[in-house]
Amino acid sequence: MSEWIVRQKIRIPFQYTTGRALTRFLTGLAECRIWATRCAECARVYVPPRSFCGRCWREITEWRELPAEGEVMSYTVRPADPPLILGLIRLDGADTALVHRLGEVEPEELERVVRVRAVWREDRTGSILDIAYFAPVR
Amino acid sequence: MPRRVAIIATGQTKHAARRLDVNIAELITEAVTRALQDADLTMRDIDAVLLGNMEPFEGFLFPELWAVEGWGGYMKPSVKFNTGGTVGTTTAIAAYYYVASGIYDTVMAIGFQKQSEGHTQTAITTVGDPIWERSVMAGAIGNFAVMATTYMHESGVTEEQAAKVAVKARRNACLNEYAHLQMPDITVEDVLKSEMLAYPVKRLDMCPQSDGAVAVIFAEESKAQRLAPRPAWIKAVATAHEQQYMGDSPKRLAEMRSLIAASRRAYQAAGITNPRRELDVAEIYEVASFAELAMYENLGFCERGEGGKLIDAGVTELTGELPVNPSGGVLSTNPIGATALIRVAEAALQIMGKAGRRQVEGARTALATGYGGNAWTDILILSREKP
Amino acid sequence: MDRHPHPESREAVSREETTLRVPFLLDVEYRYAVGQYGRRFFTELRDHARLMGVRCPECERVYVPPRPVCGICYHELHEWVEVGPEGTIVGWTVVRIPFIDPMTGEQRPVPYGFAIIRLDGAATSLYHFLDETDERKIRVGQRVRAVFREKREGSLRDILHFRLLEE
Ligand SMILES: [Zn+2]
Ligand SMILES: [Zn+2]
Repeated sequence: MSEWIVRQKIRIPFQYTTGRALTRFLTGLAECRIWATRCAECARVYVPPRSFCGRCWREITEWRELPAEGEVMSYTVRPADPPLILGLIRLDGADTALVHRLGEVEPEELERVVRVRAVWREDRTGSILDIAYFAPVR
Repeated sequence: MPRRVAIIATGQTKHAARRLDVNIAELITEAVTRALQDADLTMRDIDAVLLGNMEPFEGFLFPELWAVEGWGGYMKPSVKFNTGGTVGTTTAIAAYYYVASGIYDTVMAIGFQKQSEGHTQTAITTVGDPIWERSVMAGAIGNFAVMATTYMHESGVTEEQAAKVAVKARRNACLNEYAHLQMPDITVEDVLKSEMLAYPVKRLDMCPQSDGAVAVIFAEESKAQRLAPRPAWIKAVATAHEQQYMGDSPKRLAEMRSLIAASRRAYQAAGITNPRRELDVAEIYEVASFAELAMYENLGFCERGEGGKLIDAGVTELTGELPVNPSGGVLSTNPIGATALIRVAEAALQIMGKAGRRQVEGARTALATGYGGNAWTDILILSREKP
Repeated sequence: MDRHPHPESREAVSREETTLRVPFLLDVEYRYAVGQYGRRFFTELRDHARLMGVRCPECERVYVPPRPVCGICYHELHEWVEVGPEGTIVGWTVVRIPFIDPMTGEQRPVPYGFAIIRLDGAATSLYHFLDETDERKIRVGQRVRAVFREKREGSLRDILHFRLLEE
């Protein structure tokens, strides 16, 4: 029996509130600064920052600026033209890693890339995309 | 035999149309922190956490993951529930089962929704069957309105009587510091003159869309007695599900089959034969003014067709024989994933004697309901006496 | 599943009160199987403008939409019977509040008549549109008749709407 399929589309707009910590993070990005928060109990440095440490169940109030440079923990390549390379990047001084694009690098070179730095966009608006990508530190 | 279980603490956010000062995790933290403070506990004292939310409304799959920092689920046993309008009561009933089973002693149930982040009217259409319903569905309000006319036809209730429910809700809400819509001066006239959304439902007949969260802590008998001066004991829980399609229920609001089945099961378990006399307060899930009147009838607070007369006689006012929704109800506060759990929290506050200015004097037995799409119902009966 | 920023999201981030708001557009396509009962129903509707239900041998309820099992008796359903095209209004409204139709992402044009309709011979009801938007002219119990589209494709929208019948 042949299939009888109904195609449907779901299209819903959303507006997400960034909240206390992420607002400062995003505002900071517009100024080429990366803000993290540090839990006073477990000393974890969170980036993206959050206002609450879920492990210690306590509010986080300490802010810390991180360098726009760090290590690639892992990466993946989505075949496209040009290929989309995503990396898991731990900024120096952070305990968590950020997902972002990797640029100025060919897929076959990735194996050798350890250190990366943020490359900022000219037209920054307070978005994670204010960092255009992370490029290898050569 | 199930163990005895009581609610020992509750916490709510200040519910509002838009909580733009916090994100989802931060919103939940507010309610959870208040519940922990209420029982003088820390997150370490909580053995398991259950989370309730309707994902399509924020478009967040896995809110339990994205917001885990805020709800204290890190490395704890936990489950997320998503059952529609009933999600809050489903979460509460699950928390009851967790504790009654003997596996966990102290369990927190959380409900939240941040409706300002999505489009509820649009997202709710996805509850409809994609082949048979979605292409003709009319959003939450239109779908409700088609049921309301059936109920008006069957019972003879009028738009004025429904408007009285809307007035009662918004005035009661003024006594509830957490309520979203507080309208001390609202009149029946105001309701009748408010914008027609879909006959017979006008803007003020309908619940608002809110951002809010609630947390409720359940404990086994010895802990409950130690931690709460007056625990709210769970006397009965019941749930019932309808058939598949929206048109399956023959008389819609006029004969809410799942509400009738679940409430009768709960009454029987709690030994209640005359709910109007034996219940002291009810917190029911009335998404619109007309629904509350229909629920009076289906819950057996009055005879068929008498729902309108009950509000006329003031029976369900805060000072009446059986106050319904002293909190202001869903008509005043509706963060959907939290809404039914707020009913449970408010019923518990009444039993614990902590309902402040909306307290029903001497409340000993309270009813809480959750309701989803006229299709399924959850019931909890709370009591000052141990079951 | 693809959840991506609005094309203009980098411009649209707005400052409200103390926090930022970030817009996203959820835009997903689904492929739903109509199933065997739906196939028969929609084939009859498309090819013959005929509405069909299935009867439960135990409780004798005729179900529309047709389905494999009676939820009440938990009995398999095999007996197809024709229902409608006339029926009775069980509940109705005129939708005046605009809302976004998730199937198009656009606002559904309002006002429109909307009703729960019990087709003759059926025990359950269908939701569909009415050809009337004047609240004073519609009532519960009123007789209606399905108006079929000329060009039918095998969907519930092959019924254009239900027309109120003169009494
Ligand atoms: Zn910590
Ligand atoms: Zn049957």
